Amino acid sequence: MQLQLQNIVPIPLKDKLLQRDSGVWNKNLQFEQGEFIKIKAPSGVGKTTFIHIIYKLRKDFEGNVVWNKKSLSLVNADELALLRQQHISIIFQDLRLFPNLTARENIELKRVLQQPLYESRMIDNMAEQLGIASVLHQKASVCSYGEQQRIAILRSLMQPFDWLIMDEPFSHLDKNNIDKAAALIEAECKKRNAGFILTDLEDDEHFKYTGFLNL
Amino acid sequence: MLNTILKKLIRTSGRNRNTMAVVGLFIGLLLILAAVQIQANYQQILYSKTSQDSIADFLVVNKTLTDKNIGVATLSTAEINDLKQQPFVEKIGTLTPSRFRVSVQSISKQIPFYSDFFFESVPDEFLDVNTPAWQWNETSNFIPMIIPNMFLDMYNFGFAQSQHLPQLSQNLITSLPVQINIQTPTGTVNYYGKVVGFSDRISSVLVPQPFMDWANKKFGTDVNQQPSRVIIQTKDASGSGLADYFAKHHLSTSAQKTRFEKYRGVITTVVAISWVMGGLMFLFALIVLTLFIQLAIASAKEEIYLLITLGTAPKQLQSFLRKQFLPANIITVVVALAVIAALQFILQKVLAAQNIFISRYISYYAIIAAAIILLLINLVNNRAIKKYISYNN
Repeated sequence: MQLQLQNIVPIPLKDKLLQRDSGVWNKNLQFEQGEFIKIKAPSGVGKTTFIHIIYKLRKDFEGNVVWNKKSLSLVNADELALLRQQHISIIFQDLRLFPNLTARENIELKRVLQQPLYESRMIDNMAEQLGIASVLHQKASVCSYGEQQRIAILRSLMQPFDWLIMDEPFSHLDKNNIDKAAALIEAECKKRNAGFILTDLEDDEHFKYTGFLNL
Repeated sequence: MLNTILKKLIRTSGRNRNTMAVVGLFIGLLLILAAVQIQANYQQILYSKTSQDSIADFLVVNKTLTDKNIGVATLSTAEINDLKQQPFVEKIGTLTPSRFRVSVQSISKQIPFYSDFFFESVPDEFLDVNTPAWQWNETSNFIPMIIPNMFLDMYNFGFAQSQHLPQLSQNLITSLPVQINIQTPTGTVNYYGKVVGFSDRISSVLVPQPFMDWANKKFGTDVNQQPSRVIIQTKDASGSGLADYFAKHHLSTSAQKTRFEKYRGVITTVVAISWVMGGLMFLFALIVLTLFIQLAIASAKEEIYLLITLGTAPKQLQSFLRKQFLPANIITVVVALAVIAALQFILQKVLAAQNIFISRYISYYAIIAAAIILLLINLVNNRAIKKYISYNN
């Protein structure tokens, strides 16, 4: 599945953004499935805004986001749900777990929301790899932020997808855990022949990026 | 599995409000179904052949007697057929008079009496007396008779008192056999007779139709006499069509006794009140249910937003919520129907003791009404769910 960005500019940040040169805002860009895209930016220039725009959580922007040749503005609620169940998975910067569900239930939700891709023991497998097997039975609200981040990563890998969207996914992980998570993410993307878009503050070498943009 | 997780996220069991809604719904349903059932029972009594207290209107019709038609006031076949065609006539039966001389005398020394007499007969379906004793064949020991209640009242409260004769109860009369003398060209033939019932509908001394046919043939002096009275069953005795027709054709009728008119009024009022109250309760219950659904969705607003963000389809949420409310609705309707069925069962027993016969089981109409109501509740629920879920999106 292809992603095209056609001159997108968030309206609230318009004046500020058009004064500086950006590799993304107000540009025509095209990403092919399987690309590993890194978008780097300092705080406050709209990384999360960008992620929310391409995931259709925000509509206050100019330009067009085109998934698979269809403008996101034309996608209705049912099609959007299908897109999010089958084609686009996401790791939010603010994680967005259900605090009252256990870690396992949070992950399980994404597994059973559509025809399951993996059997449920895959949750234990992956949790083992990321070192969170012991907290699976805990409520998400009592897990540490680092654990929650790994739960969110695991959740995003439970579903089928063509694109994985990650908004500072490793912000609360140490080097060791980042390496494990990155390895798992890369393996899962390769398995699906999927690509990803990752935003972060700094340069890194967690993945072999095929594209690099400054926001 | 998805539903198990959704159940944890969207709580549809805010117990108190939900109970209130269900109780309101239940009472409303009960009243509506009771109204339907009462209406069905009412119809059944109105048109049944077996109830003594049938409250349909029966009219005995004869030609208006004038100076000119004295002696020939019979109804011709053409006239009867014409009457049969009228829209207000549901059923028609002829009263067959006896064509032989008959007298009745007591066989008891305590209550001696003798009287010249006459008999008439009508088809059984027009009778308001339902008793197994009402049958006759040539081997029968006695001839059953039905006399008008009015007759007995006249005797007990008028005649007996002024003549210092004993008053007679219905029970006493039915246990008192009488001798019936039929005069034939070759002499008198004796039979035993017995009063088996009292009619409010037909003011005549009635014997079973088979006896009348047999006796007319055997002892009758006139051949094939035309009837002079017919009995009709009508839906609306007070209708203007009926009155106009009677006036035009010089017919007159003994007005049906009005004994049941007040019952009809009471039943109609009860049914109407039941309808209105039931309808109002039902309406309020629907509103409370809708508010309850709205509340359940509103209190899970954040969870629903996140669920949709994560890719849950509005349809998935709607179907989940529908499944949460459906069982309670079905149970409420089924329980209400069961209560009505139980009440009907009891009512049947109570009324049967008073010779009013209704079905032991609830009518199809009540079941159909329950099904329609269930459908309506779900329709309203689903609309509410759809409205508030897509609003949240």
